[in-house]
Amino acid sequence: MKLEATNVLKSYGQAQALNGISLSLEAARVLVLIGPSGGGKSTFLRILGGLELPDEGTVTVNSHPLPHRPDGLLAYRRRNGFLFQQFNLFPHLTALRNITLPLEKVHGHPAAVARAMAEESLARFGLASHQHKLPAQLSGGQQQRAAIARAVAHQPELLFLDEPTSALDPEMTAEVLELIQELAMAGQDIVLSTHEMGFARAVADQIAFIAQGKIEELGSPADLFSQSKSEVCKRFLSKVMRY
Amino acid sequence: MTTSQKIANALVGILLLTAAGWLCTSVFHVLGKQTDWEKAWEYRETLWQGWKTTIAISIAALGGSVIFGALFMLGQRSPLPVVRWSCRAFLEFVRDTPLLVHLLFGYFVIFAPLMSRTLSSYGWEDKLVIGVLLLSVFEGAYLGEILRGGLESIPQAQWDSARAVGFSSPQIYRHVIIPQTLRRVLPAIAGLFVSLIKDSSLLNVIGVMEYFYNTRNFISRSYAGLEGYVPLAFGYLILTLPIAWLSHRLEKHFRHET
Repeated sequence: MKLEATNVLKSYGQAQALNGISLSLEAARVLVLIGPSGGGKSTFLRILGGLELPDEGTVTVNSHPLPHRPDGLLAYRRRNGFLFQQFNLFPHLTALRNITLPLEKVHGHPAAVARAMAEESLARFGLASHQHKLPAQLSGGQQQRAAIARAVAHQPELLFLDEPTSALDPEMTAEVLELIQELAMAGQDIVLSTHEMGFARAVADQIAFIAQGKIEELGSPADLFSQSKSEVCKRFLSKVMRY
Repeated sequence: MTTSQKIANALVGILLLTAAGWLCTSVFHVLGKQTDWEKAWEYRETLWQGWKTTIAISIAALGGSVIFGALFMLGQRSPLPVVRWSCRAFLEFVRDTPLLVHLLFGYFVIFAPLMSRTLSSYGWEDKLVIGVLLLSVFEGAYLGEILRGGLESIPQAQWDSARAVGFSSPQIYRHVIIPQTLRRVLPAIAGLFVSLIKDSSLLNVIGVMEYFYNTRNFISRSYAGLEGYVPLAFGYLILTLPIAWLSHRLEKHFRHET
């Protein structure tokens, strides 16, 4: 993917969430956003995913400027996939229906085709035997995996993951991270934010350290983790890597 | 339950039964000799008509209250502040005044002078139509609040997820928000319908010939006692108990789902 952002500003009421984010990436498969909570990772991700509009600045994804009009944004969201920390699935629908419903209503596939695609997607993530369960009957890790199955069922151009494992216990975290890594290796373009530094290092082509609404540093995992230039980034890493 | 609790439970049960039994026998002792069920049988036709009218009023007002409830809910979510505030003020007024007052005021002061002649010229019974309308507005005010509460209880994450999978705004409501809201509010709506059936008895004050009106007529004409009041109570219970039961079942059912 090719990403370009210039001086992106975003505030919610009095709170300045993004303070002029600029970034230029020629080619990356997996971009990982790290940084302290409240630093702007989620906001930036939501803008990249077409869920929010920036107050100012421009964002270009794969050489196309991000649309400003609601219908353009809707079409953009439909091309991509987005996953939140938790509560992604619709609780009144089974895992299977959670996937077939958007395939039918958003992507216009006939019911039989949608069902086949959904079953394939669930089977790929080891959920074939759980397809008729409601989200409440699945574990947190299974819910997240089913949500990923939904996000990739229509083969999105880009997949956005906002702290996909922050609400999970370590065992479930591992099963979800494995799956994301598989997706990355299969060639899926991904932008994700995470607090799992080991995982960030393993899966990322490029890592952006975001704090106080700005990108403090951008670089390859090797550079960023071993010879970070930014003081803020160094302090953050030494803190989170201590234990 | 511990053994002592079981004993206490049994004792209290026996006590309550005795009290209820005593009340019944003493009432029958006083009224039993005058009770003549044949009187009720003679008036069966008008009682039956009244009962059917009560059902018709309840069903019509249920439909009407759904329409008004949806309007009140939408009004309170309107982007225009003046619509929101008018809605709030009206709902506050409706919910803070008795239905009896609405019926008398609404019928004699507002609607009867305005609509009675027109309705009669169409061959409709004006009391019935206006009564149903007023009942619909009253129950709709409560329904609107139930719907608003249900809608606002859907977490933001569901809106986000629905947008993220690419649903358009109408699709978000149709496939994600409304189904979940309905699941949450159905028990409360069933409960409201029970109130609606009971409240329909108040329509007698504007002269609608429903079950209460006809039964009361029968009682005052024939000096009936038990044979008038017992069917009155049971006539309403037959309608409300199944719905109350349904309400409890829905509540249990949807509690398991989440």
